[in-house]
Amino acid sequence: MRSIVRLLAHRLLVAAVVLVGVSMLIFGIARVIPGDPARIALGPRASAEQVADLRAQMHLDEPIVVQYGHFVADLLRGDLGTSLYTNRPVTTDIAQFLPATLELVIVAGIMMIGIGLPLGMLAARYRGRFADHLIRLVSLLGVSAPSFVWAVILVLLFAYFLPLFPIAGRISDSYTVPTVTGFLLVDTLLAGNIRAFGNAAWHIVLPAFALALSGIGQAARLTRANMVETYDKPYIEMAQAYGFFPARIARIYAFKPSLIPSLTIIGLDFAAMLGSAFLVEAVFAWPGLSRYGVAVILRKDLNAIMGTVLIIALTFVIVNIIVDLLIAFLNPRIRHSTRSSA
Amino acid sequence: MKRAIRILSRNPLSALGLGLVVLIVLAALLAPWIAPYPDHNGAVVDFLNNNKPPSARNWMGTDLVGRDIFSRILYAYQTSLVLAVVVLAIATPIGTVVGLIAGYLGGWTETILMRVVDVFLSIPPLVLALAMMGVLKPTLTNAMLAVTAMWWPWYARLVYSIARSEREEGYVLAAEVIGAGTTHIAFREILPNCLPAIITKMTLDMGFVIIIASSLSFLGLGVQPPTPDLGSMVAEGANYLPDSWWLTVFPGLAILIAVFGFNLLGDGLRDVLGVDR
Amino acid sequence: MNRPVLAAALAMSTALATPAFSETVLRLDEVPVGELDPAKATDYADNILMFNVYDTLVLPNQGGPGHQPHLASGWSVDDTGTVYTFTLRDDVKFESGNPMTAADVVFSLDRMRAIGKGFSYLFDNVETIKAVGDDTVEFTLKAPAAPFLSSLMLLPIVDKALVMDNLGEGDGEMGDWGEAFLSADSAGTGAYTVTSHNPQDETVMAKNPGYFLGVPDGAPDVARLRYGLEPATVRTLIAQGEHDISSQWIPPEVARAIAGNGGHLLSESGTGGFYMKMNTQKAPLDDVNCRRALASAFDYATALQIVAVTDDVSLGRPSTGAIPVGMFGANSADAPLTRDMEAAKAFLAECPYDPAEWNLEISWIAEVPVEERFALMMQANFAELGISSEIVKVPWALFTELVTDPEKTPHISQLFTNALSGDIDTLLYPMYHSSVAGTWQSPEYLNDPEVDRLLDAGRAATDDAERQEIYTRLNARLMELAPTIYVYDRNSVFAASPRVSVPAMSDPAQAFGLDGIGFSFRLMDVDG
Repeated sequence: MRSIVRLLAHRLLVAAVVLVGVSMLIFGIARVIPGDPARIALGPRASAEQVADLRAQMHLDEPIVVQYGHFVADLLRGDLGTSLYTNRPVTTDIAQFLPATLELVIVAGIMMIGIGLPLGMLAARYRGRFADHLIRLVSLLGVSAPSFVWAVILVLLFAYFLPLFPIAGRISDSYTVPTVTGFLLVDTLLAGNIRAFGNAAWHIVLPAFALALSGIGQAARLTRANMVETYDKPYIEMAQAYGFFPARIARIYAFKPSLIPSLTIIGLDFAAMLGSAFLVEAVFAWPGLSRYGVAVILRKDLNAIMGTVLIIALTFVIVNIIVDLLIAFLNPRIRHSTRSSA
Repeated sequence: MKRAIRILSRNPLSALGLGLVVLIVLAALLAPWIAPYPDHNGAVVDFLNNNKPPSARNWMGTDLVGRDIFSRILYAYQTSLVLAVVVLAIATPIGTVVGLIAGYLGGWTETILMRVVDVFLSIPPLVLALAMMGVLKPTLTNAMLAVTAMWWPWYARLVYSIARSEREEGYVLAAEVIGAGTTHIAFREILPNCLPAIITKMTLDMGFVIIIASSLSFLGLGVQPPTPDLGSMVAEGANYLPDSWWLTVFPGLAILIAVFGFNLLGDGLRDVLGVDR
Repeated sequence: MNRPVLAAALAMSTALATPAFSETVLRLDEVPVGELDPAKATDYADNILMFNVYDTLVLPNQGGPGHQPHLASGWSVDDTGTVYTFTLRDDVKFESGNPMTAADVVFSLDRMRAIGKGFSYLFDNVETIKAVGDDTVEFTLKAPAAPFLSSLMLLPIVDKALVMDNLGEGDGEMGDWGEAFLSADSAGTGAYTVTSHNPQDETVMAKNPGYFLGVPDGAPDVARLRYGLEPATVRTLIAQGEHDISSQWIPPEVARAIAGNGGHLLSESGTGGFYMKMNTQKAPLDDVNCRRALASAFDYATALQIVAVTDDVSLGRPSTGAIPVGMFGANSADAPLTRDMEAAKAFLAECPYDPAEWNLEISWIAEVPVEERFALMMQANFAELGISSEIVKVPWALFTELVTDPEKTPHISQLFTNALSGDIDTLLYPMYHSSVAGTWQSPEYLNDPEVDRLLDAGRAATDDAERQEIYTRLNARLMELAPTIYVYDRNSVFAASPRVSVPAMSDPAQAFGLDGIGFSFRLMDVDG
């Protein structure tokens, strides 16, 4: 147990270093933007004095290092500034839009594991046979298109031509659900409204699946590769020689060890999904952070861009810590050595 | 080479991949000659024939200003392939050098370089590219720049992990004993052992770069019209679903086929070159 | 998927799709951002919000020119034409329950002018405003002005007491003038009150039971104004009965598809046009001959063909000049502008810049997909003159910012503009007066003393014949200067589901002739 604590401490330290780096990187990118942020904020009718005042207020006239210092100080107080786009504090905007995106990504993540891992196990068990080839083909197809292409294809097939699913939004208008967590699937249950829950779940299926498809392919391919590798290990051959049931061998002896490398990649895929959510949300009019992100990027809304990217990086770092801890629990050997960054 | 052919013939999927890649590269190279309407890659409009479904005249239909979609897809392949090749040609050497130095030298150099790599890797690739495109003007060159900036760390990490395990190997220690210089060991001894993995990754990445680049233009932050681009074609057509499905479906499938080809080929190469990751 | 599963899935989807309505809902969409503060309103979405949540002293007459009293019970003008006295109704209450008085009117104008955004410049001519008792307001103008009365249709009255209770931080004793509060909440007398507002996503409004004119039962109980829906989404939602009125920005094909699917088309006959605005401060368009070459090479007939929705509905009527047909100074409808390549070549020969070296930046607004086609068409039109150009897609929010700097303003910007208050002055002045260059309406940066003089004269004149003459001269002057390609006279078209009827936008005898008022939900009828 103590080694787990040490591992966690180490991971947190690395995460902190990474986040400082991320903040510098983003700050660097944001300060390259041409044009005067103060002028942009105030609009065309503002006087030169007003602009000068705001420049001073935004510390724009000070050296870049000092500006970064102010930026970090504000950050630590939880102040990400005001969005020029919505005229509201960036933290308010993010708090409003993040849950929708996280909900989408989490459901997609569950689909990725729930569909990808079994597919990979099946492929490994029927290695070289038809099922294996089919799964390989399908999973490769899944990785081979950006999620917006999948989103468009799925919408066309299952919302337009075969109207099984809604084409946009998170929930039908007729349901009003009090916001508690911002996760509709949770809030509807908290409100005890089963119909609303069903409606929200029904809305999330297509976008989450479009988002998950490449991850499903990735997870299946990886699980297959790792299980094939462990199948070749002597202990499995031994188990087979002892006449254990194939399903039991697959589950206990081959699956668990091969889960570990899969988990690492799943952590990475989660990050990729946070990015791809930008594309899926555009197709499904999903009111999430990504849509906000694109809007503020197009608007060159500095505070909001920095806030959005930071939050996404933070989410990603947290997920990776969780993944690391999971791996440590699964594999006693790793508990005692720290994982390389690979 | 013989081995490669044997493996390809034994593995029909890889052969298919090779076939697709060859087909797409040829289509892109020969676009000016094989496109039914070669002038439709530029500023041409034909409002008498706009928004028409697939027909014998236009195999994939026409877009909203009357240009032949099939011709534009051929030209869009040019854009995609050029972009992918340029990005990888820049990102791979940078990433490789960083990875080699970090992996072989170790110590503080390793810590600093790999933390920098971690920073880049902890922002989803598309988000980083988007943030950069938000700052820059949306042009082909800038799209290449943004994608390159997010791509090199992946090579750095790949080469780093190989180099780190190789540095304890006998041949490296032997080279150190006979007094070979750091540069020599890194580039002459360790690098060749990384090449199979790098080449496999580059093949697979051709597909992924195409995905990222088309995603940028799907969001309106990539290549601008009238330059044909698969991502922007999908984005424009998406406004007219489901009535004018051909506007989106064909460019979407074109992306799928190209990336699928590179993935199948990369998979095959992995076996041929004996790369296990 | 096998049959029974499919059937079950279908059954489930219909069950979930049609929950029982206890109240009637109207759903419509617009381009984000929705600005709720009436002092900062500029876009169409803002107008829709403003006309439902707030009221104004006067309203336009329906089906004809002139104005009718609304919050005012009547008004009078003195002999000098500079003092307007309004008597207020005594039965109007804000949603807070506070009675509406003269102090609220004074506060509303003071607030708008202090904030200095939105429509505030329409009131630059007001010298003083004062409350005479609770029920009388007196405006004194610096000079007589014909458009003053119609500009009052854009002065929404806010609840002074409520705003004063909710002042945010700011310089001076008025703090932020309630900007933070009014950006998130409503404080009006309108037929609808805001129940929730997210400027990026959706504004939900509900019927105000205490509305001074009463709200008919057939009007929607709840209205949801959604921001940023894709045209394809809107098209299918309307077909599925989950959306009611599209924005006017959907492409003509999509409007046609909706109409062909059982829907119907609504329109708002414009007092404005669709314009290709040329940046007169940037080479090569700083030269008049270069601009006229482009205006002559532009293919007006094809442009109209692009925006035809059905055989008898179109987004545009042929343009005849700088002023839309039907307004003061317009040219005869018999002589529409046409493409003339010979003239274009002649103008180009006079243009001091070598066409081979041009690289025009043609922008289009990302939220208005049809504009991309115009961009490509222009690119092809100009290519015939040997002029090369590049196309830039600009989101609306970014565009409004780019135009503040003549260097960043594209060579050509595509814009739909209307006379704000229905008066020709509010169409041309914001576009061409040199004092207001650099807004989204004026990316031309036109600076011409003659145009300025005519604009000022037209504004001050109160006699119709005199105004007709002034604007005719202005029209000719503008055609000579060619700061703009006048593509077509605008007719905004909205696609709607069969369950709504909007007389103000389908029956010419009930049309307002002012952008956005047709969207007064209280005048609509929605089936349950």
